[in-house]
Amino acid sequence: MNMSGSDETPAVLIEGLTKRYGRTLALDKVSFDVKRGELFALLGPNGAGKTTMLHILCTILRADEGRAQINGVDIAKDPLGARLNIGVVFQEPSLDDRLTCVENLNFHGLVYGVPAYARAKRIEQMLAVVELSDWRDRLVRTLSSGMKRRLEIARALVHDSRILFLDEPTVGLDAQARDRMWSYIRQLREQHGLTVVVTTHYIEEVEGCDRVCVIDHGKVLAIDTPAALKARHGQELLRVTPRDAAAGAEIAADYADRIVRHDGEIVLRSDGDAFVEALFNKYGPRIRRLAVEEPSLESVFLSLTGRELRDQAASARDVTYAFGKRGGEHTK
Amino acid sequence: MTPLITPYTPVSRFAMQMGGLYAIWLREVKRAVRDRGQLIGGVSRPLLYVLIMGIGLNPYFRGEIYGEVKFVVPFTYLQFIFPAVIALNILYTSVQSAVSVIWDREFGFLREVLVSPQSRWTILLGKVLGGATVAMFHGSLVLALAPYADIPLDLVSVLKGLGLMFLLAFALTSAGVIIAGRIRSFEGFGVFSNAVILPLYFLSSSVFPLDPSLSAAQMRVIYPQWLVAMVEWNPLTYAVDAFRGAFIGYHQFDHWMGPVVLAAMAAFFFSWALYEFRKA
Repeated sequence: MNMSGSDETPAVLIEGLTKRYGRTLALDKVSFDVKRGELFALLGPNGAGKTTMLHILCTILRADEGRAQINGVDIAKDPLGARLNIGVVFQEPSLDDRLTCVENLNFHGLVYGVPAYARAKRIEQMLAVVELSDWRDRLVRTLSSGMKRRLEIARALVHDSRILFLDEPTVGLDAQARDRMWSYIRQLREQHGLTVVVTTHYIEEVEGCDRVCVIDHGKVLAIDTPAALKARHGQELLRVTPRDAAAGAEIAADYADRIVRHDGEIVLRSDGDAFVEALFNKYGPRIRRLAVEEPSLESVFLSLTGRELRDQAASARDVTYAFGKRGGEHTK
Repeated sequence: MTPLITPYTPVSRFAMQMGGLYAIWLREVKRAVRDRGQLIGGVSRPLLYVLIMGIGLNPYFRGEIYGEVKFVVPFTYLQFIFPAVIALNILYTSVQSAVSVIWDREFGFLREVLVSPQSRWTILLGKVLGGATVAMFHGSLVLALAPYADIPLDLVSVLKGLGLMFLLAFALTSAGVIIAGRIRSFEGFGVFSNAVILPLYFLSSSVFPLDPSLSAAQMRVIYPQWLVAMVEWNPLTYAVDAFRGAFIGYHQFDHWMGPVVLAAMAAFFFSWALYEFRKA
């Protein structure tokens, strides 16, 4: 085992991490830590800085300020040592599609210094976990996109990775494939004490995580267990669709202090049925639709960022399409 | 509960870098072997140049200048261009291997390597060695045509030739990596490679000799000064000269110049490529 530091050392430690792209501040003094064995989620809209953060932790990008440790190893001082401890699954596929499944995994094993006696065994074991044993000698270009993602997860675990970084691992997969992906991750985590850091925009995936870090515009907005987040930031929300713009403007002016979001649909902070009733009595005829939303991670996200996760879902799909248009593998 | 995964002790850091070097080299070679198009190009190019152009121009190589019959070079045209065709094949294949750098970047595979515990140095060396191996193989394919060009092959000349081929392939693959780092699309690369490969090749004294027996005045009548200067400044000229030395024993320049220029090119381009690769 290549383990530096004791069990007390956090798997990931970030202090005051800052990254600028020209004038835009992608990460603004971000600090947090991920405990050993934790399933940690980074939640945030596109451009929030999640991927930038992951790329810094994988040492693809260099931070402008601040420091980060992986398993107690400083990523700036010993990038090779830090990379030894991590497995990464990127948002966009990074397999060699002219090699077979086994060849891809063998390449990975060699590059990560897995000795020959364990390499062949681990490759077969990982292929079995992601149910790709029957496809071991197929060229990767002939696999479906779901199979490729599974192969990438298998690959990230051919070496002894203590920490697994997953950047939107389930984008572009159907519901069934997503469930299976998570069952592999859970299975490996239980048996291996793996630490998993995942970025996602599927709210149901975040529910199952130990802790969630909500991030937007490069800043950490909240970081806690899903239950605690709901208790603290969870807010009953009222969604109002006015009949016309004039009515919308009037409602917005009337409840200016309660507005979470206003763009055609108005989202207001509600504090019980009395408030809803009052609003309905006043504007009832001028409202097309009125909906009360119970506190959920979705509403936590909305009240923290003022943005909907659903916007995010659409744009993530656009990312995949854009990748396909550039000749990416999703289109093959 | 039985452990899901076989445990292991990681190999030493040095052994890991060597394993990585081997893996990256092996991948380049495997990809090239599976790429039929590249192989067809590697076979058809020498056939075109040696069998068609070489045989076709063979009778015209000995010419008459101002009523005086001159033997430009004491070899047949086929013998003369044969070593240059080896250089051409290496040139094409090396530059093409740079396409795989763009490919890796576009398709994300580069990231897989960049987040691995391999140093940038190892990654680049593996890549360049892989490309150079393939290019050297394509260069040695030309040797199969040696009997048709009346080139006598013996073990020493083949070994010497292979060594020079490797140096050239190493230098040009490194140069290709530098170019690929500056070009964003496949289309751009296609245009660029043709705009660079063919002038380099034709200006390397590959298809015509700079006749050493001509006086400066005669040379100026036959070749304009700019052409002579470009040939003399082209590093590929010395590579072709070194190949000629190995295979037909003919040099237009000093014997030592070819190998020295080749080694200098290899060192220079690899260092430059490493500098660019570290920066990225």
